[in-house]
Amino acid sequence: MSLYNFKKIAVVPTAKDFIDIILSKTQRKTPTVVHKHYKITRIRAFYMRKVKFTQQNFHDRLSRIIQEFPKLDDVHPFYADLMNVLYDKDHYKLGLGQLNTARHLIDNVAKDYVRLLKFGDSLYRCKQLKRAALGRMATIMKRQAANLTYLEQVRQHLSRLPSIDPYTRTIIICGFPNVGKSSFINKITRADVEVQPYAFTTKSLYVGHTDYKYLRWQVIDTPGILDHPLEERNVIEMQAVTALAHLRAAVLYFIDPSEQCGHSIEEQISLFESIKPLFSNKPLIVVLNKMDVLKPEELPEPKRALIEELVATCAKGNIVNADGNSELRTVPVMRTSTLTEEGVQEVKIEACERLLGHRVTEKMRTKKVDGILNRLHVAVPSPRDNKNRPPVIPPQVLAKKEKMDTESRKRKLEREIEIEQGDDYVLDLQKNYSEIAEEERHDPIPEFWEGHNIADYIDPDIFDKLAELEKEEELREAGGMYAVPKIELDETMREIRDLARQIRNKKAALKDESRLVKQSTKPVMPRTSRARERDRSASKLRSQMEQLGVDMADTEEAHFVKSRSRSRSLSAPAKRARLESQSRTRSVSRPARDEQGVKDVAMQRRAKKMAHLAISKKTKKMGLKGEADRFIGTKMPKHLFAGKRGVGKTDRR
Amino acid sequence: MAVRVQFENNNEVGVFSKLTNSYCLVAIGGSENFYSVFEAELADTVPVVHVSVAGCRIIGRMMVANKNGLLVPSSTTDTELQHIRNSLPDNVKVQRVEERLSALGNVIACNDYVALVHPDLDKDTEEILADTLDVEVFRQTVAGNVLVGSYTALSNRGGLVHPKTTIQDQDELSSLLQVPLVAGTVNRGSDVVAAGLVVNDWSAFCGMDTTSTEISVIESVFKLNEAKPSAITSTMRASLIDSMS
Repeated sequence: MSLYNFKKIAVVPTAKDFIDIILSKTQRKTPTVVHKHYKITRIRAFYMRKVKFTQQNFHDRLSRIIQEFPKLDDVHPFYADLMNVLYDKDHYKLGLGQLNTARHLIDNVAKDYVRLLKFGDSLYRCKQLKRAALGRMATIMKRQAANLTYLEQVRQHLSRLPSIDPYTRTIIICGFPNVGKSSFINKITRADVEVQPYAFTTKSLYVGHTDYKYLRWQVIDTPGILDHPLEERNVIEMQAVTALAHLRAAVLYFIDPSEQCGHSIEEQISLFESIKPLFSNKPLIVVLNKMDVLKPEELPEPKRALIEELVATCAKGNIVNADGNSELRTVPVMRTSTLTEEGVQEVKIEACERLLGHRVTEKMRTKKVDGILNRLHVAVPSPRDNKNRPPVIPPQVLAKKEKMDTESRKRKLEREIEIEQGDDYVLDLQKNYSEIAEEERHDPIPEFWEGHNIADYIDPDIFDKLAELEKEEELREAGGMYAVPKIELDETMREIRDLARQIRNKKAALKDESRLVKQSTKPVMPRTSRARERDRSASKLRSQMEQLGVDMADTEEAHFVKSRSRSRSLSAPAKRARLESQSRTRSVSRPARDEQGVKDVAMQRRAKKMAHLAISKKTKKMGLKGEADRFIGTKMPKHLFAGKRGVGKTDRR
Repeated sequence: MAVRVQFENNNEVGVFSKLTNSYCLVAIGGSENFYSVFEAELADTVPVVHVSVAGCRIIGRMMVANKNGLLVPSSTTDTELQHIRNSLPDNVKVQRVEERLSALGNVIACNDYVALVHPDLDKDTEEILADTLDVEVFRQTVAGNVLVGSYTALSNRGGLVHPKTTIQDQDELSSLLQVPLVAGTVNRGSDVVAAGLVVNDWSAFCGMDTTSTEISVIESVFKLNEAKPSAITSTMRASLIDSMS
């Protein structure tokens, strides 16, 4: 989210590591085998590739470093100045510039040596050229050793800088060392800055955040500043000055009237005067700290006069905000004690209010607000009729609000039930059907039943209708509508019934019997049915019928077969070709292979016998079990094992 | 009080819930976290019910509701409708409407007295709406958007509309609705206010991303705390300007 995040810069390796990384990468990622009897173009290409690959890796790595480090001209002036103070702008720019030169040098070395490699006439020469090229690249990098270490230190320091957003609402705390700046920031934020009773405990900028009026406020704790000319200031002080100079923030200037900090009031006031230019166009508050130790009224006369004079000048309006910004004209002087926390919140609120007001007027002046003016408007309705439209709030809610009771809850939440039951939890939708009786609530009602939508058949009067029907039914029953008439059975009827029962029994018995006889339930193979001999004949029929007691005396002349021509015509009867519908051929199962092309059963039998003989001859000779037994006729057929082999003839000949 | 909630890591709480003054409907999710936020806040006073529409969880955008009634789209199954009827109090009329613009929540914005509807809404639907929910119906757009339901969050005490609504439009809508209106955002600048916020006369639920300035605007315009809507133009003005520009 933050605009300036220096934590993501990649590590800058030392020169030695740098070279090792790149060279080992070349070794890993380019081919490693080359022979002198290879074609010279292949050998040249092999070494050119190595040189180019190394150069490319150096180039990429260096470009990445150059790109990732912040450009002093691009970042916010606050960061540019802070980096100048901390790392020295010239040194930093020089460091990056030299890396850039090194990158160019490496590119040029590679270009030269690739050109030379084109004229390499043996493996040895090519190899020497490659060695020279990589060696020169490594030397160039070695010269950057100091530079790389410096940049790595800068990177580490940058990544630990507090993430200050230069554009947001900011409060800067400044003053002499040891006047209680860090204690103050610890009181209003959770920054947890170290507080010690000696000067320069805080050596860099610290950031904390606080909330006021629904907004977040960035509070910056600066190191103490001493009263001497700008040129003599050290790095620690300069950080504070940078923050004051570049951040558009509210400034709290801390003064310690008790002089416990080791600096007199005169010194502190003169510092205030000398850094006044830094406060221009910023809301400023002078804070008299350590009120628990000494109140200004208890000061000895000359010092008290100084303080009073300061208060007076501040109240009068200062020279600082010369552009006539009215609200910044006066500077309040406030009293706090970070020990007793007296006045701390008041200072925070005053600072926030002043800064907010300042920022809002600035924004109003730059017309930034025009786009959001409609969002600052509350449209209040003008009544259009006499209808009253009151809010609908249940009395329980109002009562609860009245009691200010927010925590009393007897109800067990669904979430708690879910956690309790763990994986066994199932959401019960019907639980709260208050209208339906407890035992009926969970009755399953399908959405569809036998293809009908249940909801289509729901009838609100169903119970009334049912009751009506039942009543009608009762009446009918009472009227004897359903009385079954007694049926009288006579002798013949009984006999018929008896006979029918016997027939039924017999039928069932026959059914069972046939089921038992037909034991196999497997499908019948057509092969077996083909092999069966024909066993239906007139004589058989006659004898069977006689056995059953049918008189077959006059059937000498009868022919039981259906009369049709004996000769089988093989071709299908000629039909007129259909024009509309296309006929489809039906698939016919193929007869077994030993039955194909066989005229009749006798011929089939003969063929089978011959085949059997042939197989048995072979099996007996070889001692085989049957025709499926594996058998190798010739172990090494000559045509496969004699003669020279050409290329690629090992497997297949 | 406005409460920040999330539905399965999604900040568009208005899509997955519907809040009125006499009941609250919540989508069926993977866990009960979302439901229980509503349950804890409301279940003592009004029924909080798990609901789905056509098997979907986007109930807030599919149905339109107030304390008097509930309109569901034609895609609602009979079982779902039966479940809603069983769960809600008897005085709430539940009605299914055959409407081409089936995301009723997106095309209709209403409180207990007035409704704004999409200009192309069916005539029959408008009549059913007026009868079932017992409201006056006005065909309107909000900041040039026809989806009035998506860009307006309403209660009987106030309303939040699309952030680009002009002052004239706000005044006009406000006099139709007879409640104070403010143009604003939810969920850190989202303009679909009805998707990021559900509100009734005494409580509000907004997405987890909603900033404290947005919450303060919501609370004052819906009169959820002691602040009056006029606070937006007076005490909160500076914070609003500073946070928005």
